[in-house]
Amino acid sequence: MEEMMEDSESVEMSGPEPVQGVAAAWDSVSAALVSPGFSVSDQNLVDGLALLCRRGLAPLLGVWLLETLQMRLSSSVVPEFWCGLKQPENELEERGRAWVLLTAFRTLLDRLEPFLSGLEKLGAWQQEGRCGLSGPGPKGLKEQAFTTIRALLLFSPSPVLQERVLEFYSRTFSVYMKQEGNAEDGAEAPDGSEGGACPGCGVPLHQCWCLEALEQLQQLSHILSKLQLLDWVSSEAVTSILHKLIEQRMEQHCRGEYERSFLLNFQEWLELVLGWLGKVFACEGSGDGPAPASLASPVMKQWRCHMHQFFCRIYVNMRIEELFSIIRDFPESKAAIEDLKFCLERTNQRQQLLTSLKSAFESRLLHPGVHTSDILTVYISAIKALRELDPSMVILQVACQPIRKYLRTREDTVRQIVAGLTGDAEGCTDLASELSRGDPVTLEMQDSDDEGTDPEDWTPDPTDAVPDKLGSKRRSSDIISLLVSIYGSKDIFIDEYRGVLADRLLQQLNYNTAREIRNVELLKLRFGESHMHYCEVMLKDMADSRRINGNIREEESRLSEDEQPPLPLSAIILSSEFWPTLKEEKLELPPVVCRAMEAYTHRYEKLKAMRTLSWKPHLGSVILDVELEDRILTNLTVSPIQAAIILHFQDKSSWTLEELSGKLGAPKELVHRKLALWQQQGVLREEAGGRYYVVEMGSSMEKLERGGMLIDSDEERDSNTTTQSEQREEKLQLFWAYIQAMLTNLDSMTLDRIHSMLRIFVATGPVVTEMDISELEAFLQKKVREQQLLMSAGVYRLPKPT
Amino acid sequence: MMMESPSLAHMASQNMDPAAAGASAAAALKGNESENNMTKGSVSKRLQQELMTLMMSGDKGISAFPESDNLFKWVGTIDGAQGTVYEGLRYRLSFDFPAGYPYQAPRVRFVTPCFHPNVDDQGFICLDILKDKWSALYDVRSILLSIQSLLGEPNNESPLNTTAAEMWDNQDAFKTHLHATFQK
Repeated sequence: MEEMMEDSESVEMSGPEPVQGVAAAWDSVSAALVSPGFSVSDQNLVDGLALLCRRGLAPLLGVWLLETLQMRLSSSVVPEFWCGLKQPENELEERGRAWVLLTAFRTLLDRLEPFLSGLEKLGAWQQEGRCGLSGPGPKGLKEQAFTTIRALLLFSPSPVLQERVLEFYSRTFSVYMKQEGNAEDGAEAPDGSEGGACPGCGVPLHQCWCLEALEQLQQLSHILSKLQLLDWVSSEAVTSILHKLIEQRMEQHCRGEYERSFLLNFQEWLELVLGWLGKVFACEGSGDGPAPASLASPVMKQWRCHMHQFFCRIYVNMRIEELFSIIRDFPESKAAIEDLKFCLERTNQRQQLLTSLKSAFESRLLHPGVHTSDILTVYISAIKALRELDPSMVILQVACQPIRKYLRTREDTVRQIVAGLTGDAEGCTDLASELSRGDPVTLEMQDSDDEGTDPEDWTPDPTDAVPDKLGSKRRSSDIISLLVSIYGSKDIFIDEYRGVLADRLLQQLNYNTAREIRNVELLKLRFGESHMHYCEVMLKDMADSRRINGNIREEESRLSEDEQPPLPLSAIILSSEFWPTLKEEKLELPPVVCRAMEAYTHRYEKLKAMRTLSWKPHLGSVILDVELEDRILTNLTVSPIQAAIILHFQDKSSWTLEELSGKLGAPKELVHRKLALWQQQGVLREEAGGRYYVVEMGSSMEKLERGGMLIDSDEERDSNTTTQSEQREEKLQLFWAYIQAMLTNLDSMTLDRIHSMLRIFVATGPVVTEMDISELEAFLQKKVREQQLLMSAGVYRLPKPT
Repeated sequence: MMMESPSLAHMASQNMDPAAAGASAAAALKGNESENNMTKGSVSKRLQQELMTLMMSGDKGISAFPESDNLFKWVGTIDGAQGTVYEGLRYRLSFDFPAGYPYQAPRVRFVTPCFHPNVDDQGFICLDILKDKWSALYDVRSILLSIQSLLGEPNNESPLNTTAAEMWDNQDAFKTHLHATFQK
């Protein structure tokens, strides 16, 4: 502006021609530029232009034009536009609002059109080089104009514009989708037929303005593209519409639905949406009819990318939220996992997934209210699902860390896993089938160091992998290996299995081991022959017992009538070294049984030189008939102590608790509990003074009442072997003995030294398993707190003996 | 009342482990070949087992443990038994197991100086079961218990430390001297 004034002054001074002429020429040229209707004869214009050029004023034309545009914009056009948008009387109906929006832009275009065509004309002259005119040309000039328009118009846009545009686009979108997509998918507008409303524009059918809306969309796109405002006005609205729509559609179709894949479906739908986008971003085609942007245009390519990105992101977000349920439903939810895998590879959301899944596990699974077998079931599902989702197993490893940690704190974890492996657990059949599935070849592959894979196929770990010594190749996805490694050692499982096996073998009396042999064989494939050695011996004991028993029976049958043993006795002969510790209980059996046992032992000793039997009188079971005066109870299966009790009543019909307890060598409480069975059976009754009597004449009423009740309410289905927690306690006790001994003799030691000494010297019998160093430290700290140990400067010592 | 028992089943344990029996038989055969690795392995096993037995026994006043990761050198600790002049004193011993163990006796020595009729100033002990009366049936625990009782009941017939043997009859003087000279 300043410059221009100076220029014109200097121009006026210098020129010999009359100022009058120059002014007239300027007027005519500038008028020709801004008002298309103004008719100046060509010659006149050319003269004027030539004069201006001669006087060096021509370069100012462009500057002046832009300047005028700017003035006009800020003084009238922009305020008018914003006013035009806010017309309360026309804003009641959506259709009205659409009209207002379009009109506002239409007016805007009308107002600016003269300037734009002026610039066009000037630019054309410049390009032609008419009268020595030069400059940036039509493109450059218009570029400047558009910048000015954008700057002034959108410097402080009122939110109403965004609202209107959003509304309008949403409407045209649904109209478009109705037109294009009703065949493909009827659920687009769920309330479509209701009340005769048009599914596209949402008003009663007779007022339908669908076509009008599409027409308006075309016009708006045309205007916006002419003013080059398309990106600025529409992008934001389109983005948020796409977001909303994809989200909506996903909520409707995919949420809670894991059994179908949605990728293809969405792909098709997105192509449809792209068609609508083509209309929104119509570019100025040939002539004045705007053509829909072709899919190949850079704008559309970009939008397509955006859309896919939106889709993936929204999909991943939703599935992350639902991942726990998806995992729970696996393998039914395989489709969802595959979709998620596809999308997750395109978004950077692994971390989000991990965080969310971990916390879902913690809040929904890892609390005291959930049964261990359920946790295991979910963990197994998670292993299966996550190894699909992420073949590098990193997600599996990281996300399931809390589960593994938690399972370690559950006392019955091992028992549950072992029960699962042997097919004993209710509902958890996965493990048993997993066990029988495993063929040794694949297992060896998993364990062997040199994988047979081509080095070319190597892929690096994802960045979120937990660095560990094993590396990705050794990251296992084998369910049984993963479960077994929860405790870091397979010994504990084998011990537990041994316990379970012992129970199963001891509970049945027919030496039938077919199923157990199968299980042991399968476990051998997993754990290796050497680990299952004990179990093999146990099974062999059963087979041997059966044989020995047969032999002894045969021998007995050859005896004369009076040499026959008083009771038919069968024994299960265990190699004590190989069986888990059996519960010790004291019980003295009645003499008749003892004699039978002695006879049996005698025959056994004859059969197996240098061997003898040491009986466990409290284990086993007795089948007996009880004959009373008026009734007979047949085929009762009871425990030895129960049999012993009733046997004593054969000699003497009333006993006190003390007497019985003395006879049996068992604690009174135990005898009392065991007596309950006979009371329940109506065979014994307790009378005042704590004496028990035989009920020889049961009243028939009572008998009826008790007829079917043969259930032994007292028979706690106890394991015959010690439990895991007892074993753990035992293990800690043993460790403590070692620690005390080493500190007594070696004065003071560091944690590491204690740890390594324990590792070297604690005999690795079946009961003892290794203790990791942090566990040891916690244990020692506990002893320090209990003042059984002193710790200073990193070394532990025992307190001075008092 | 009449009672009949058609079938009575019981369980019994064999009192011998065939594998273990086999192992000790093998050890007995190879007892003389001291350089044999198999033997060394079974000696280790026996020592480990003894350690376990000792740990489980929970005896008061006696204790022993390998001094490092070498299972053939142990450190032992004996507290003087109650009611004897040695009450309140704690003695360290060293155990050295030969490769022929348990067919050869271990070398046992007091590390803490011990004023006693049957212990010399080098800590060597005159105890029959460590010499001609040794048997493979003895173990670390029985040695420790024997030495503990030897403290209270010395064999004054063949003393290694004559001063101590002479002083023994005067228990008060012995005790005073013992405690005055005791050094850890």
